[in-house]
Amino acid sequence: MRGSRGWARVVLGLALLGLSSGCVTVPPEEIFQLSPESPKNRAIQTRMFQTSNEKELLSASAATLQDLGFEIEESVWDVGFLRAAKERSAREWGQHIGRFFVLAATFGYVLMPIDLHQKIAATLVARPLNQERSRHEVRIMFYRVVWKGEGYVERSGIPPGEQKSEMIRDPVLYQQFFAKLSKAVFLEAHKI
Amino acid sequence: MKRRSLSGTGSLGAWLALAASLQVYGCAPTPSQDLFALTEAQMKLRSFQTRTFDVKDRQLALRGVIAVLQDLGFIIERANEPLGLVTAARFSEPNYLEIVGVTVTVRPQADGRMMIRANAIHNNKPIEDPKIYQNFFASLERSLFITKE
Repeated sequence: MRGSRGWARVVLGLALLGLSSGCVTVPPEEIFQLSPESPKNRAIQTRMFQTSNEKELLSASAATLQDLGFEIEESVWDVGFLRAAKERSAREWGQHIGRFFVLAATFGYVLMPIDLHQKIAATLVARPLNQERSRHEVRIMFYRVVWKGEGYVERSGIPPGEQKSEMIRDPVLYQQFFAKLSKAVFLEAHKI
Repeated sequence: MKRRSLSGTGSLGAWLALAASLQVYGCAPTPSQDLFALTEAQMKLRSFQTRTFDVKDRQLALRGVIAVLQDLGFIIERANEPLGLVTAARFSEPNYLEIVGVTVTVRPQADGRMMIRANAIHNNKPIEDPKIYQNFFASLERSLFITKE
């Protein structure tokens, strides 16, 4: 019993350490430097279309996002920009099962918070690639914000609402989006 | 319905700001009287944050800024073409708690060239390291050069 209590303290201590580390961070120098992964990310997120009709490309992009359940939150025609979002449940069985085992293994001392709710968002930019504006590229980036539920460690509660943000990197999601978009504009989406 | 409208417009920025403010909670200084005074340090900062580019087309410059921010992994949050304004944010990976926000303005000068200014914020604190801004403008220069072709 004593052992598990001590362990719970260590976990709590580590969590607090993680929170307080925000006070001493210095901005890393490489914030505005291209990372080795950036060409790969760019390739996943971008497709080229042989069209001069930027308006059609952008409105079809908006329609495709709507088909996927997104709400358009912001649109700026002059720079070919769209931002959209949808909210969904973030519950997953795996986390429920994991939480149960941790609860059992710590004799009821630790109830891990699990993901409850998420906001999936996308920003999209369409831009001409040459001066004649006969080719355009569409770049979309998906990301999500996840909110956790409540939990506790020993007698100290962990309040709900902790959030994490992450980019969505799964290439399949991007392929699905571009497949739908190319159907909507009757054009082939070329990889760059 | 109310929930939706609350978390709707511009909510990413609000949530990021909230997350970042949680981070620095406990070490925030009290507001001082010279918050709005133009100090020498601020003048210096402004010169780090500003660079003039030999581009005549403002929209081209603005699109170049957007493209380079995307290449750098930033999420474009807002753009305003008439004002030449772009706001973007990024979660530092793999540490999701670190947040970088940036506002870039593109303004034509009397000689027709473009003056570009970037203000970056790291976890709710302004970035004052000139090296970081140099990196930004170096990346932007490359991007504008490619766009010009």
